[in-house]
Amino acid sequence: MLSSVIDYIPGWNVWTQAILAFLIPILASKIYKKMYAITGKGKKPDTADSKKAETLLEPSGAPFSGDYEADIQVIRDRIGGNSDLIFREIRMEKTNVRAALFYVAGMHNDRVLDLHLMEFLMFEAGSDTINEPGRIRDRLPFSCLLEASDLNSFNRSVMFGHIGLMIEGELGGLLIEYPNGANRSVQEPLSEALLRGPRLGFTEVLSENTSMLRRQGFSDQLEIKTQKVGTRLRKDLALAYIKDIVNPDLLEEVSARIGKMDFDFIAESGYVEQLIEDNYLSPFQQVQNTERPDRAIAALLEGRIAILLDGTPFVLIVPSTFSMLLQSPEDYYERWLPGSLLRMLRFLAAFLALMAPALYISFISFHPGLIPTELAMSIIETRQGVPFPSLIEVLILEVSIEILREAGIRLPKPVGPAMGIVGGLIIGDAAVQAGIVSPFLVIVVAVTAISSFSIPIYSAGLSLRLLRFVGMLFAAFLGMYGTILFFLLLCSHLTKLKSFGVPYLTPVSPFRLRDWKDLFFRAPLALMKRRPAMTKTQDDKRKS
Amino acid sequence: MFTRTDDRITTSQAVVFLTNTVLGAGILTMPRSVTQTTETPDSWLTIFIGGAVILPVILLLVKLSQQFPGQTVFQYAGRIAGKLPGKAICMLLVVYFLVIAGFEIRTLAEVTLFFLLEGTPMWAIVLPFIWLGAYLVGGGINSIARVNQIVFPISMLVLFVSFGVSLRLFDINNLRPVLGEGLLPVFAGLKSSILVYTGCEVILTLVAYMEHPRQAVKAMIGGITIMLAVYLVTIIVVVGGMSVDSVITSTWPTIDLIRSFEVTGFFVERLEFPLMVIWLMQMFCNFCSFFFQSSLGVSQIFNVSYQPVIYGLLPVLFLSTMAPKSLNDLFHLGDAIGMMGIGLFLLVPVLLSLIWLVRVKGLKQHV
Repeated sequence: MLSSVIDYIPGWNVWTQAILAFLIPILASKIYKKMYAITGKGKKPDTADSKKAETLLEPSGAPFSGDYEADIQVIRDRIGGNSDLIFREIRMEKTNVRAALFYVAGMHNDRVLDLHLMEFLMFEAGSDTINEPGRIRDRLPFSCLLEASDLNSFNRSVMFGHIGLMIEGELGGLLIEYPNGANRSVQEPLSEALLRGPRLGFTEVLSENTSMLRRQGFSDQLEIKTQKVGTRLRKDLALAYIKDIVNPDLLEEVSARIGKMDFDFIAESGYVEQLIEDNYLSPFQQVQNTERPDRAIAALLEGRIAILLDGTPFVLIVPSTFSMLLQSPEDYYERWLPGSLLRMLRFLAAFLALMAPALYISFISFHPGLIPTELAMSIIETRQGVPFPSLIEVLILEVSIEILREAGIRLPKPVGPAMGIVGGLIIGDAAVQAGIVSPFLVIVVAVTAISSFSIPIYSAGLSLRLLRFVGMLFAAFLGMYGTILFFLLLCSHLTKLKSFGVPYLTPVSPFRLRDWKDLFFRAPLALMKRRPAMTKTQDDKRKS
Repeated sequence: MFTRTDDRITTSQAVVFLTNTVLGAGILTMPRSVTQTTETPDSWLTIFIGGAVILPVILLLVKLSQQFPGQTVFQYAGRIAGKLPGKAICMLLVVYFLVIAGFEIRTLAEVTLFFLLEGTPMWAIVLPFIWLGAYLVGGGINSIARVNQIVFPISMLVLFVSFGVSLRLFDINNLRPVLGEGLLPVFAGLKSSILVYTGCEVILTLVAYMEHPRQAVKAMIGGITIMLAVYLVTIIVVVGGMSVDSVITSTWPTIDLIRSFEVTGFFVERLEFPLMVIWLMQMFCNFCSFFFQSSLGVSQIFNVSYQPVIYGLLPVLFLSTMAPKSLNDLFHLGDAIGMMGIGLFLLVPVLLSLIWLVRVKGLKQHV
């Protein structure tokens, strides 16, 4: 009895492996936690830190003294060193009061400045306009008129492009006219081109972007709230949502995360995305970005929240789920049958873009017996001259395709297509001729590349490109078994992932049948009576 | 609240969870193990009766768990039977789950080694699998339930498509005569047909995690019905396609059936490949479920936090996987697990229910 038990005690190598089985994951999780602690917590400073940050960015500004000469002197001392700051002192004819204008060159239309502003101030503004202290705001005929609370904010606003006005005998400075720096005109969104649908794309100016959202339709429920972000260079950030649809808890969560952002300059909405996302170690984006106002408004109507940042045409949409990565507004503009077909095609394309090279490796290197014999024969025949194992072969071609792609983005427009031809056709053909890769692999890689181009969101395509290489490694080690492990790993990761509290894989899992209408296929609009369940909206009926 | 912090699963998730826990390696070997004991084509009847026998067991498990809402067996066993005996019973349960988990991975490794990766060392197959399981189990019951929900429909689809295509081999004469040797062989096979339901002990913890524990009876019966249907279809198709004699002699009858024909003109000519791929995923869910149960058990019995327990159980699982020395050992282990299951059933739900009944109804104690 005892001897048979002893018989089953495994040898030392199994014990070593068991210890490895224990140590490696512990190590991995330690590293993961360390990495998460380093950067993940960076966005959540504790209250003391955030208070310090507050004081840093809001230095208690020196108040206006009320003495015209002294205030002007302080302003000139602080910002007069800038060569692009224009300081113009004028005398108001009617009242014989001195006034000073500060503005930055290049921010304003000179004609408006001369004809309108200067003329009014110098010749028309009479004693009735400014003789009542404190009520001057009501008397000046400018649509944009702000009062600066202290000297620092006055200086900042002037440097940002407002026209600063100081009038003798008045306490405080006035800010007239919004900054009007160099902009580009409205263009078709470059990264999300459509055949059918509006051609309008967001621009770099926040006010234009919000107005584009507003002009999507009449509503008094679309609420846009602006706040300043960034600790050193401050910028406007707007939250847009539909007041009677959005879930208030979600709104609170989003505002809280934005409030916790601690960074000296938010250059692009990508910064916002990375500072507020749930898991920065995940290869999947948990925030969707878009250049299209129609997409943004559609998301708002689903109960999501849009985050607009000044200075970028990319608007963020939260929460976002996996299925949104493969949706295009066109699915809804075309009739439902072609829309559904395209949707399913994209799922297939995403699968190919992710798995095709991994499947190639596992079939060729591990299980040639599983594909039809003739096909296996012809593939192996063409691979005879190839000196590398299939992983190296695939890597050679995949890496060069990725380089080509990267090069194609950098190149000026007229050269780009030529590059594609040289790279894709000539190098591919020459590589086959030279016996470095097999022709069948060229097909696989080309299909993979084309599939990944069909992903409607560029950043989603990036995640798939990244994961494709991981999948190839798994396949190279364990063949089909490794590929399945890779798929299960993805599933496990995705089920753990959340975007602002919404499970990333909704509605597949947790299973919400109601939202399946808009997943693999797009149901007729008449059936889409309710908003997605995942966003837990206040009002979930789309039809009255 | 918009962000859910509680770790509860919906009723449909509970159904799939139970189904995926029980439907593991069994489906690959079950036709042989049952037919071996009956030695007649009546094995499908045996499966049917086995399901009928298991139904009251399920009901007992659910009813017992429902007396302690929100508590798993590891928590309420102590309350019923007293601290130490409760802990001892629960430890038995944990060991049982660990043995099953090891058994499942070992079966998976054997199948993979045999069909997919000949010549690969066993640890290279087992280790990544266990690690991946640890990653998923770390996410709690919700993550596991969600992965189950993704895998289950795919695996059912592939299974039934493969069975559908294999119907060309189906010969009704293989299933005849019905009751040719009377009822005796049917009952002789009953033991092995109950064994295929081992794993339904997870109900003891599952009910505690349900969002609507009141629907537990419905959900669990639903889960058992799905399993029963899958097993019935499997045994009918396999025995009908292969005849009793070849089922008994084959190691993996289900795979052998699918291997025995080719679908020409299709990209994958032999369907055993997609079936095995999908079954790997199914086994993963299966394994994760037991892994979860045992780590939960250890953490609740000894009052330690959940995450470290997962890592602590990794080497145990690995050893339990590597312990059987041959395929024969493995199948003996499978039988032993079945016996353990019956023993535990008598020990855990029956004994606990009796004590509970005596204490609450008889002695009017407040438990």
